[in-house]
Amino acid sequence: MIMDKNKKSQGIDNVQQVYAKVLENASHVGFALLIGGYFVYILQLLPLSIPIDVIAGNWHLSAAEMQQKLNTPSGWSFFATTAMLMKGDVFSSLSIYYLATATIFCLLFTIPAYIREKNYIYTTIAFFQIAVLLVAASGIIN
Amino acid sequence: MSPATSVFRKILMGSATAVGAFLLYLLIPAISFAAEPQTVEQTAWWIWMLLLFAFSFVLGIFSVLAGVGGGVLFVPIVSGFFPFHLDFIRGAGLLVALSGALSAGAPLMRKGLADLKLGLPMALVGSISSIAGALAGLAMPANIVQLLLGIAIMGIAMLMMKSKSSGLIDHQEPDALSKMLGISGVYYDEVTKKDVSWQIHRTPMGLVLFMFIGFIGGMFGMGAGWANVPVFNLLMGVPLKVAVATSGLVLSINGAAAAWVYIFKGAVIPLIAVPAIGGIMLGSKIGAKLLTKVNTRSVRMIVIIMLVIAGLRSLLKGFGI
Repeated sequence: MIMDKNKKSQGIDNVQQVYAKVLENASHVGFALLIGGYFVYILQLLPLSIPIDVIAGNWHLSAAEMQQKLNTPSGWSFFATTAMLMKGDVFSSLSIYYLATATIFCLLFTIPAYIREKNYIYTTIAFFQIAVLLVAASGIIN
Repeated sequence: MSPATSVFRKILMGSATAVGAFLLYLLIPAISFAAEPQTVEQTAWWIWMLLLFAFSFVLGIFSVLAGVGGGVLFVPIVSGFFPFHLDFIRGAGLLVALSGALSAGAPLMRKGLADLKLGLPMALVGSISSIAGALAGLAMPANIVQLLLGIAIMGIAMLMMKSKSSGLIDHQEPDALSKMLGISGVYYDEVTKKDVSWQIHRTPMGLVLFMFIGFIGGMFGMGAGWANVPVFNLLMGVPLKVAVATSGLVLSINGAAAAWVYIFKGAVIPLIAVPAIGGIMLGSKIGAKLLTKVNTRSVRMIVIIMLVIAGLRSLLKGFGI
């Protein structure tokens, strides 16, 4: 049986421990933001960019049709103006963005750990994985 | 049977009957289409949100008891039940799968059950194809996606009926690629109270299949645990517990990649996505507590029936019936 020299006595990889720690913290923050953001949105504690009734009246349309009809902001267009960031629906959307970004944080922390272990194959895999996620998050492919 | 078990069983059977009856009702297009426009216009948004939360909660319980991810049940069933366009349901479904995987990830990694070295290469190919799948799925007309979704769901139901996951694995020689990547591991089995060591084989074939699974997951906005686990377990020789846990890790990366496509296409609406995530996650926690108290084989059969009905409904919608 092949045993990796970097595995601890419990059989857990050092890099895996790093990934798990970042994942735990990132997901806790993410879920707190998700819940908080949603309550800010539906209780309308901040003004909304599009009223909830209007969204509900059009949620039978496809995403493309709804965007065309309501001119809903998507992607990083929220950051066009600071006033936009102070909208309740935008705040709730950003909490979802954060969740979708959480794995990038985890992978970013694994790269130095893999380099310390001189594991260049996994350094490369992690690097390419981050690149794939960043390309997706940039919106270039859309 | 203890009184508590009996009560749990009654609750479960009651929920299953209610869900099943509603799905059967939805299967009769003449009735459901006639009722839909009135319902959508007259029902306040917050009632739909409460219903979505409650429905997702029940799905969360069933998904854990049946040993499948919430994402795979969410998209086909909610698309036949709620007035939202399929685009938004797929966007929410991806986030449901992603959130479940993120929340369970850290403890499973610390126990050595989710393995980063096993998951990362599969996630790399899977995330690229899941982006392609999401782009393809959002570019297709909704009726074609419904049709393909119906076929996929029927296929998943068949796979669930026939698949026998293997708790015991055959220790075959690791292949050259897995040796080069150093993929092997040890975990402590709390049932046998022993360390279990494992290694893998057929890694190149596994990578090809993960690419295919990623595409399907991205296209339909479903989690892909139903496919990841058999590939890890039956094809590559990964122990079942490691296969299930590492499937979540792969899902968290593939789901994140595809989720961005849905976000940029405007297919993720927090109004719909957040109650779905909250309901499924809360239901999953209850489901995990019930796991030792109910007959999971019966629940699995109920879920298969639910999937078949949802698949038929999706096929009918795809044909415009």
